[in-house]
Amino acid sequence: MSTSEPRRFDSESRTQAYRELDHPADLWLEVRGVDLPALVENALFALYDSMVSLERVEERREVTLRASGASAAEALRTLLAEALFLFATEGFVGVAAQVQRLDPSTEPDSGDVRFQARMRGERLDTTRHETRAEVKAVTYHLLDVTREASGAFKASVLLDV
Amino acid sequence: MIDVARPPDREPARLTRISQNVWEIAATGGMRVPGRVYADEASVDRLDSDPSLDQVRNVAHLPGIEGYSLAMPDMHFGYGFPIGGVGAFRVEDGVVSPGGVGYDINCGVRLLATDLDAADVTGKTGRLVDRLFSDVPSGVGSHGAIERLTGPALARLMVRGAAWAVERGFGEQVDLEHTEAGGALPGADPDAVSERAYARGLDQVGTLGSGNHFLEIQVVEEVFDQEAATAYGLREGQVTVMIHCGSRGFGYQVCDDYLAVMGAASARYGIELPDRQLACAPVDSPEGRRYLGAMACAANYAWANRQMIMHLTGESIQRALGLSPRSLGLRLIYDVAHNIAKIETHASGGRRLELCVHRKGATRAFGPGHPEVPSAYRAVGQPVLIPGDMGTASYVCRGTEEAMRQTFGSTCHGAGRALSRTQALKRAKGRAIDRELAAAGVVVRAQGRKTLMEEMPEAYKDIHDVVGIMDRAGVSPRVARLRPLGVVKG
Repeated sequence: MSTSEPRRFDSESRTQAYRELDHPADLWLEVRGVDLPALVENALFALYDSMVSLERVEERREVTLRASGASAAEALRTLLAEALFLFATEGFVGVAAQVQRLDPSTEPDSGDVRFQARMRGERLDTTRHETRAEVKAVTYHLLDVTREASGAFKASVLLDV
Repeated sequence: MIDVARPPDREPARLTRISQNVWEIAATGGMRVPGRVYADEASVDRLDSDPSLDQVRNVAHLPGIEGYSLAMPDMHFGYGFPIGGVGAFRVEDGVVSPGGVGYDINCGVRLLATDLDAADVTGKTGRLVDRLFSDVPSGVGSHGAIERLTGPALARLMVRGAAWAVERGFGEQVDLEHTEAGGALPGADPDAVSERAYARGLDQVGTLGSGNHFLEIQVVEEVFDQEAATAYGLREGQVTVMIHCGSRGFGYQVCDDYLAVMGAASARYGIELPDRQLACAPVDSPEGRRYLGAMACAANYAWANRQMIMHLTGESIQRALGLSPRSLGLRLIYDVAHNIAKIETHASGGRRLELCVHRKGATRAFGPGHPEVPSAYRAVGQPVLIPGDMGTASYVCRGTEEAMRQTFGSTCHGAGRALSRTQALKRAKGRAIDRELAAAGVVVRAQGRKTLMEEMPEAYKDIHDVVGIMDRAGVSPRVARLRPLGVVKG
């Protein structure tokens, strides 16, 4: 299990982390990761990157979020919803994350998937940070986590904006 | 378009023309009622490959649905229910579904009249919009319009709605008469609201938010129905103000909380769902009642929010133009919701029925004589407010008897998107949308550059077409067209 430090989201590697798919009104994201923790880290990147331009966000505060679900997709959605709640109530914008899987399985649908995310970032300051979309919710719509032939993971997440 | 797998045993929805602007999807398989779609020939061709038609059909499967699963001409693909959908379910044996209301509970529109003429603001629109932009909090996570509320104060606001603001001096009694449901749904239950929703609601009353929400200075460009316009207090050349927003993070959280509750409830009540996003519970069940109690809290939050924004807007315009309240003459024409579920009585199939009417991206359009239409407007029907994109126009229409017969007193809610956000960004690349709009006579201020690109006029369908379809169907005839002069976007 990794004990490394939270990894800063890198706009240079955005296209490897996630891309936006075409949707008539909302933000539909396709996220990739070499394993499930990396997938969740990249999903957090995608969420914050959709709401705030991250270039000038500094690592001033560290928070830890936990989420669980019957599947990796549900646990991922819940974790993103936790992050959105923290943004909505305390203005916390994450710019670095390190995710661990807490349950013993490595399967995406083990029946009890638990993630923990250590994140660093700071409070939104609109005098320094450019805002993007207002995300209303992380929905269950089109929510999916799949393992690709290469062994890497791919997620579909729809943000209501 | 979206790749939504259709169950293999299902044929694509087939539309049969019923009249010039109404198309029917026959009830097949598990559908309890047919679907009805409002569209003209041009838009019906586009609908052919649109997954929202399947959503119209899916809604028709739900228990207790009355009449038809309806779709307005601004319909597009939504969460479970299509945006632009109307579903009426019998209180007796029907269901209520958070997906039939949407995340932004009581997103809606408020239209204000002034005593100003377009000439009074000529050359001053920039100053006016700058002032509004700084006085009315907007943008991602906007907050702090008024002092942060305490929990008990927020609970009172959830019950009182717009009256909460009026009681604090932010408006007048007549404002409540000119607001749908008097600005407060009955049955609000603060105990049904989660701590998380409380936390998100404490600091956002009086804020516009972001996305397609806006605050707009307009001019009445053309009056189509003189009698109704006079009743509403509208005349050509007059300056109006339109506010489009909802219940902010409070409502989003209420929806999110109850989607989880309803997911489990559907299974418990043995309700077969063609799509799990349609999760629901019987209207008359503990889960159904609790959702309606929490949803009413969010709806009332939205009415308090728009009432506060109206107050902030009035003060801001007075300061920008150096006017007294009397010379500005700001007054509320009407405030109407377009994301809501309400218990209403309708005539259907020769009976009077208590129905839980879901309007998701659809506007109430009650006809003349209805007791819920303000007395000043009762002879002509309820004002219906249809916002268009920021460069084109918005419409005031009126509710009719025909709307009561055809659509449970409902009509369209806006232009509806023609381009996805990504397509719009591609189309806007390298362009200065604010300068283009300025050249067309519309001053725009936005918190985010990206929002401006995503919300550019060509990202939307033609509002004239959408409104025209409901006008020709006799559901909501046009009263007046409003042209934007200045826009604040979040």
